[in-house]
Amino acid sequence: MDAFIEGMKMFAPVLLSGMSGIGLLFSSFRSHIRETENGSENAENKESPADTADSLKKLHIFVGIVLTVAVIMALVSVWTKERSVTLFYLADRVPVYFHVDALGRLFITLTSVIWLAAGVYAFQYMKHEGEEKRFFGFFLLLYGVLLSLESAGNLITFYFFYELMTLSSMPLVMHNGSKESIMAGLKYLFYSLCGAYFALFGIYFLYQYCDTLNFTAGGTLNMTLVSGNVQILQIAVFLMIIGFGTKAGMLPFHSWLTAAHPAAPAPASAALSSIIVKSGVLATIRAVYYIVGMEFIRGTWVQTVWMILTLLTVFMGSMLAYREKVFKKRLAYSTISQVSYILFGLSLGSYMAMTGALLHVVFHAFIKCALFLTAGTFIYRTDRIRAEEYSGIGRQMKVTLWGYTFASLALIGIPPFSGFTSKWYLALGALSSETGFFAFLGPVVLLVSALLTAGYLLPVTVKGFLPGKDTDIPVKKEPFDKMTAVVLILCIVTVILGIWPNPLIRFAEQIAASLWCY
Amino acid sequence: MRAYYMVIAVLLPMLGGALIPLIPFRKRSVIALYMEFVVLATSILTFLLIFHRPENAFVLFRFTGRLSISLRLDGAGSVFATILAFLWPLATLYAFEYMKHEEREKIFFMFYTVTYGVTLGIAMAEDIVTMYFFYEMLTMVTLPLVLHTLTREAVLASRTYLYYSLGGAAFAFIGMIYILVYGTTSNFTPGGVLDPAKIGDKMNLLPLIYAICFCGFSVKAAMCPFSAWLPKAGVAPTPVTALLHAVAVVKAGAFATLRITYFSFGTELLRGTWAQNLLMAVTVFTILFGCSRAVKETHIKRRLAWSTVSNLSYILFGVVLMTPFGLIGALLHMMCHAVMKICSFFCAGAVIYKTERTYVHQLDGFGRKMPKVFIIFTIAALALMGVPGLSGFVSKWYLAKGAVAAGNPLAYAGLGALLVSALLTAIYMLTIVVRAFFPGKEFDYRTVADVADPGWMMILPLVVFVIVICLIGLYPQFLTDAVMNVAAEVFP
Amino acid sequence: MALIQNVPLVSILLSLFAGPVSSVLDGKWAKRLNLFVITFIGILSAGLLSFVIGTDQEYVYTMGHFPAPWGNEIRVGVLEAAMALFFCIIMFLCVIGGVLEREREIEETKQNLYYIMVNLLLCSLLALIYTNDLFTAYVFVEINTISACGLIMIRQTGRTIEAATRYMIMSLLGSGLLLLGICFLYSLTGHLLMSNIKEQVTLLQASGEYHIPLLTAICLMSVGIAIKSALYPFHTWLPDAYGYSTLSSAAILSSLVSKGYIFLLVKIFYRVIGFDIIRESKVINVLFIFGIAGMIMGSVNAIRANNINRMIAYSSVAQIGYIYMGFGLGTTAGIIASIYHIVSHAATKSLLFVAASGITDASAKSENFFDLTGAGYRNKLAGAAFTVGSLSMVGFPMFSGFISKLLFSQAAMGNKHKILITLIALAISVILNAVYFMKTVIRIYTPEKKEVIIDKGFEEISIWEQPAKSAALICFIALNLLLGLSSEPVIRLIERGLEMFG
Repeated sequence: MDAFIEGMKMFAPVLLSGMSGIGLLFSSFRSHIRETENGSENAENKESPADTADSLKKLHIFVGIVLTVAVIMALVSVWTKERSVTLFYLADRVPVYFHVDALGRLFITLTSVIWLAAGVYAFQYMKHEGEEKRFFGFFLLLYGVLLSLESAGNLITFYFFYELMTLSSMPLVMHNGSKESIMAGLKYLFYSLCGAYFALFGIYFLYQYCDTLNFTAGGTLNMTLVSGNVQILQIAVFLMIIGFGTKAGMLPFHSWLTAAHPAAPAPASAALSSIIVKSGVLATIRAVYYIVGMEFIRGTWVQTVWMILTLLTVFMGSMLAYREKVFKKRLAYSTISQVSYILFGLSLGSYMAMTGALLHVVFHAFIKCALFLTAGTFIYRTDRIRAEEYSGIGRQMKVTLWGYTFASLALIGIPPFSGFTSKWYLALGALSSETGFFAFLGPVVLLVSALLTAGYLLPVTVKGFLPGKDTDIPVKKEPFDKMTAVVLILCIVTVILGIWPNPLIRFAEQIAASLWCY
Repeated sequence: MRAYYMVIAVLLPMLGGALIPLIPFRKRSVIALYMEFVVLATSILTFLLIFHRPENAFVLFRFTGRLSISLRLDGAGSVFATILAFLWPLATLYAFEYMKHEEREKIFFMFYTVTYGVTLGIAMAEDIVTMYFFYEMLTMVTLPLVLHTLTREAVLASRTYLYYSLGGAAFAFIGMIYILVYGTTSNFTPGGVLDPAKIGDKMNLLPLIYAICFCGFSVKAAMCPFSAWLPKAGVAPTPVTALLHAVAVVKAGAFATLRITYFSFGTELLRGTWAQNLLMAVTVFTILFGCSRAVKETHIKRRLAWSTVSNLSYILFGVVLMTPFGLIGALLHMMCHAVMKICSFFCAGAVIYKTERTYVHQLDGFGRKMPKVFIIFTIAALALMGVPGLSGFVSKWYLAKGAVAAGNPLAYAGLGALLVSALLTAIYMLTIVVRAFFPGKEFDYRTVADVADPGWMMILPLVVFVIVICLIGLYPQFLTDAVMNVAAEVFP
Repeated sequence: MALIQNVPLVSILLSLFAGPVSSVLDGKWAKRLNLFVITFIGILSAGLLSFVIGTDQEYVYTMGHFPAPWGNEIRVGVLEAAMALFFCIIMFLCVIGGVLEREREIEETKQNLYYIMVNLLLCSLLALIYTNDLFTAYVFVEINTISACGLIMIRQTGRTIEAATRYMIMSLLGSGLLLLGICFLYSLTGHLLMSNIKEQVTLLQASGEYHIPLLTAICLMSVGIAIKSALYPFHTWLPDAYGYSTLSSAAILSSLVSKGYIFLLVKIFYRVIGFDIIRESKVINVLFIFGIAGMIMGSVNAIRANNINRMIAYSSVAQIGYIYMGFGLGTTAGIIASIYHIVSHAATKSLLFVAASGITDASAKSENFFDLTGAGYRNKLAGAAFTVGSLSMVGFPMFSGFISKLLFSQAAMGNKHKILITLIALAISVILNAVYFMKTVIRIYTPEKKEVIIDKGFEEISIWEQPAKSAALICFIALNLLLGLSSEPVIRLIERGLEMFG
C-alpha cells in the first residue's frame, strides 16, 4: 500500500498530463471524424466563429489548469524526496523502474518550466496554426512522457520512454499538415528511430556485460565478463553514443534537426530544441556515466572519435547557421552547434567539463526557448520566415527584439549573461582534462564558434533596429500579449541566471561530484 | 488428460471441415455457427490439453515397424498449439465476414477448417516422420485456399507455392532420413537424438545434411532465396494470407526448423560448424532483404508479406543461434509475431473488404474514415517495430540477448540486422499510418466518402489481438516462464 | 511333393495355351477367357505364396524330372510367388480398366488377337519370374518382346506402327546383347542353369581366371536388359510406344513388361553371378550414373511434353532411373528398395494411365493439356485417382511412392560415396515430378468456362458410366494406399525373398 501511495505521488503528474492529453486527442479525433462525415455531405457546414472562440477559451483554461497542476505536482514530488518505484517487468530481470536523483531533478525542473512557458506562449500562437486541441493533446502527453523519461531509474525504462517520446513528439512536427512538414516529421521519426536502434544495440550488450542496468554513478560494468570482449563492447558503446547523439543533433545524424524545427510550430520547436534535444544529452550522460562508466572509454578510440565528432559538429553547426537565411533553420543549426558544446563537455570526462555541460544544458534550454519563441512571434506577426526580411523589425516589435538581443548575447557567451558561465566551465574543463591535443583544440573551436554565433545572431538585431532604408515593415506599437510576456520572462531568467549563477553552479557541481566521488 | 484426446483435437477439425460441403445448410449463418462450433471446440480441447498435458504418446498408425504417425504434446509443441488455438476461432469469425463477397465459400471453409487440424498435427507430432507427414499434408490442404479465386494469377501463385513447398519437403526429407538412420530414435527428444557412434565416419556429412534439411523446412518459412512464393501467394483471400501465410503455414516451417535443430539433430554436434555460420548468414541476409523489399513494395498485402519474410527470419535466426536464449527468442517471436502480423493483415483485409483498395498510396485520409481499424493498425505497427511496452519488444529482447551471448561475430551482425530491420519496419509501416492520419492539408475527404469501419465480426478479433499485444508487452512473464521451461528441458 | 508346387508350371502352361485357344474365340469370349486365366493364375499364385511362406524355403521344380544339365528347372521362392501374384493383379486391373478403349480403338475382328497377346505376355512374364535356366529366360524374353509389339501395334495408326517398329529394333538389340552375354557365360562355365553357373563363376572368381570375359558378360547382359527396360539413354522408343498405344497396352507395358526384364536382371545379379562379384565389378556404377541421369532427364522431358500420356510415359523413364539407381547403390537395401519400387511404380503408373484416360474421356478425347482444364470436375473419380497417383509419384506420405523414396534414401545412407548424390538427385527428381504432376492436378481442378465446355463438347462422366474402369481405378487407389500404409509385410517379403535368392 505504501508503495502504491509512493508511486502515485510520483506518477500523479504523469498520469494527469498524460491522461488529459489522450483525452484531448480523443476528443479532437472524434470531432475530426464528425467533421469529415458532415463534410462529405455538406462541405460548407462549419461551426460559427463565436462557438469556436468559446470552446477555445474552455480548452485554454483546461490545458492551463492541467499544466499548472501537473507542473506543481511534479516539482513538489521531485524536490521533497528521492523516490523510487518499480512498476512491472518488461522481460525477465528487466523492471520498469523509476528513481529520481539530482540529475533527474534538474531535468524535470527544467522541463516543467520550459513547458509552462511554451504552453502559455502556445495559447496565443496556436491560433495562427489551428488544430489546437490536437496540439495541446500531444503537448500534454509529451510532458507526461518526458517526466517519466527523466525519472527513469534504469536504462530499459529510459529507452522505453525515449521511444515513446519520439513517437509522441512526431505529430507536433507534422502539426502543420503540409507536405514539407509531414516529410520533416517522417525524417525526424526515422532519424530518431535510427539513433534509438543504435542505442538499443548498445543496450543489448550492456545488459549482457553489466551487473545491473539501474543507473549507478560510475557505471556497472562487470569487469570479469568484459575481459576478452573489450573490443566489441567498445563498439557497442560507441554506437550507443552515436545513437543517443542523434537526438542531440550530433554528427553524422544531425540533419533531422534542421528539417523538423522549421516545420514545427514555434512552441513545439522551442520545446524540441530546449528539451527533446536535451534528452539526447541526458541519455548520453545516463549511458556513459551511469552505466558504462567514463573510465571504460577514457583514452580509447571511442573518446577520441567522440570528441572529434562533437567538435566538428560545434564548428559545422555554427558555420551552417551563419550561411543559413531561413531564420528558424538558422536557429536549428545553432542548436546543433550549441548542444554539441554540451556533448563535448561530456566527452572530456572531467569534473569541470561535466559541470559546464550541465550548466549549458540549463542555459541553452532557456536561451534557445526564448530565441525560438521570438522567431515564432516574428512569424506570427509578420508571416516572414527569412532572416533578411526582418530588417526594421525593431520598429514594430521593440520588446521582442530586445529580448532576442539579450538571449543572443547570452548564447554567444558575453559576460555577464548566462552562456558565459557555462562556456567558462567548459573551457576550463577542456584545459584541465588529460586529452592532450584536444585540451587546446576544444577551447579554440568553442571560441571560433562563439564568434560565428555572434555573426549569425547579432545581424538580426542590428538590422532590426537600424534597417537603414531597406525595410518595408511599418512602424507600429507592439501589443503586449502572452507571447511577448513569455519571451520577456525567459530573457529575464537568462539574465538573472547569468548574474547570479552560483546556486545553479553549486547544484551542477554536486551532480558532477557525485559522479567522481562515488 | 488421456492421450487420445489429442487425436480428437487433430481429427475434429479435419472431419468437421470435410463435412461442410456435404451438409445441406439452409442459411449462411448456420454454416458460421457450425464452423465456429467446430473450431471453438477444438481450441478448447487444445487448451485443456496444453494445461493438462498428457504424459503418453498416442500412436495413430504405423507405416512400418519404425515409422509411425504418433502424437505427443511437449513444451515446444504447446507453444505452437497455443498460437493456433488462440488465433483460429478469431480468424474464423473474421473469415466469415470477409468471405461474403467471394464465391465457393463452402469449399473454402472446408479447407480452412481442415488446415486447423493439420497444423495442430504438426504442433503435436511426436516424431519427425509424423511432422513430415502433416507438413506435406499442410501443403496439400492449403493449396486449394491459394487457388481459391481461380484467376490466372492465383493459378500461377499456387503452382509456385506448391513447387516451393514440395521441393522444400523433398530436401527436408534428406534430413529426416539421416535422423532415421543415425538417430537412436526418431522421436523429438530435447537435446537431439543423433548417436555419434552410429554415424561413425560419416560425421563430416552432418553439417551438410543439416543445412540441406534446414533449408528444406525453411522454404515454408520463406527464407531467402526460397521466399518468392510468399508474396505471390498474397492473391489468396485475406483470411488465408493472414492466418496461413503469416501464421500457420509459415510458422509451421519455422517450427519444423526449430524441432530439427533442438530436438533431432541436437545443438551439441552442430554448434560452431560451418552449417551454423552459413545459415546464420542467410537468415541475417533474409531479415534485411525482406524488410527492404517491403519498403519497396506498394501493394499492402505484398508489403506485409515481405515483412513476414523478414520477421520469420528473426525466428530462424533465433533457431540457428543454438543457445538457450536463441530458442526462447525464437519461440517468443513465433507467438508475438503471429499476433502482430495477423492483426496488421486483418486491418489490411478490412480495408480491401470495405473499399477494394489495395495500394498504399490509395490509403490517404483513411484514418478518419476507418478510425478503429487504423488505430489498431498503428498499434500493430508499433509492436512490429519493437516499441517497448508492446509484444514485439519482448521477443526481440530475448533474441538480442541470445545473439549477444552467442559471442559469434555473425550473431552480432544479426543483432545489427534486427535493428536495421526495426528501422525499415518503421519506414514501411509508419508511412501507411502517417498517410492515413495526415493526408496533407489539401486532402479532400470526399474522395474517401465511401470508406467506413467494418462490422463487429471483423472488429472483434482485431480488438482482441490488440489487447493481447499490449498484455504480452506489459506482462510477458506468463509467456516467458512457459518458454523458459522448454529451454530448460533442451539445455538442462 | 505337394500338389501346389506344380503351380508355376501350370500357370505358365495355362496362359501359354490360353493364347491359341483365344484365336478361335470371338473378342468377348476371348476377354472372358483371358480374365479367367489371369484370375485363376492369381489365385494359384496366392496359394503358392502362402505355401512358400509357410515352408519358408525355396524349392526347385525339375521339369520331367530330368536332372541338370539336360533338364529345365523352375525355382520358386517367396519373391517369385509374390511377384507372380502381384503381376496378375496389375494385369487384371489393366485389362478391365482398358476395356472401353480397346473396344473403341481396335477393329472388331482383331479383338481376340489382343487377348492372345495378353495371354502370351503373361506366360512370358511368369516364365521370366520362375525359370532357373538362362536360356529359357532368353526364349521368353523374345516371346515377351513379340507380344509386347503386338500390344503396341494392335491399335492401328501410323504412329503405333512406327513406335512398334522402333520398339522392336531397340528390343532386339537388347536381346541380342543379352544373348551374347549368355553365350559368354556358357562358354566360360559350360552351364545354362543359373545355380550351376553361379558355382562355376564363384570358382572362376576365386581363381582369378577369365576376369575380363566375365566382366564382359556381365556388361553385355546388364546393358541388354537396360535397353529393353528403357534405361535413360536407351529410352527413345518408350514415349511413343506407351503414349500412342491403347490404354491397357500402355498400362501393361509400362507397369509390367519392363519390370519383368528388371526382375530378370535381379535374378542374374543374385543367382547367376552373385551379388558380391557384381558389387566388385564397376558395372553398378555405370548403372548408377545412368539411373541418376534417367531420374533427372526423364522428368525434364516429361515437363516439356504437352500430351498427358506422353508425359506419363516420360515419367516412367524417370522411375526406371530410380530402380537402376537402387541397383547402383550396390547394397542389399538398395535392391530391396528397387524391388519395392518395381511394385510401387507398377501400381502407380497403371493407375495414372487409367486415370488419364478417364480425364481425357471427359475432355472429348483430347490429350492436349489445355483441354484438360476442369476435367477433374467432369470426371470426379478419374480426377481423384489422378491426384492420388500424382501424390504417390511426388512421394506424399500415405502413398506407395513415399515408402519407396524412404527406402531409397535409407539405402543410400549405407553407401558412403553415393549418399549425397543419391539424396540430392532424389530431392531434385521429386521437385521435377511435382512440377509436371502437380501442374496437371492444378489444371484439372481449375474450372473451365461454360462456353468452352459446350463449345468443345466436353461431357461429364459419372462413376457408374464406366463401371469397369471405375472399379479398376478404385482398386488401384486401394492398392496404392495399401502399399503406402502397410508396407511392412511387403518389405519383409522382399527381404526374405532376396535371402532365398542367394
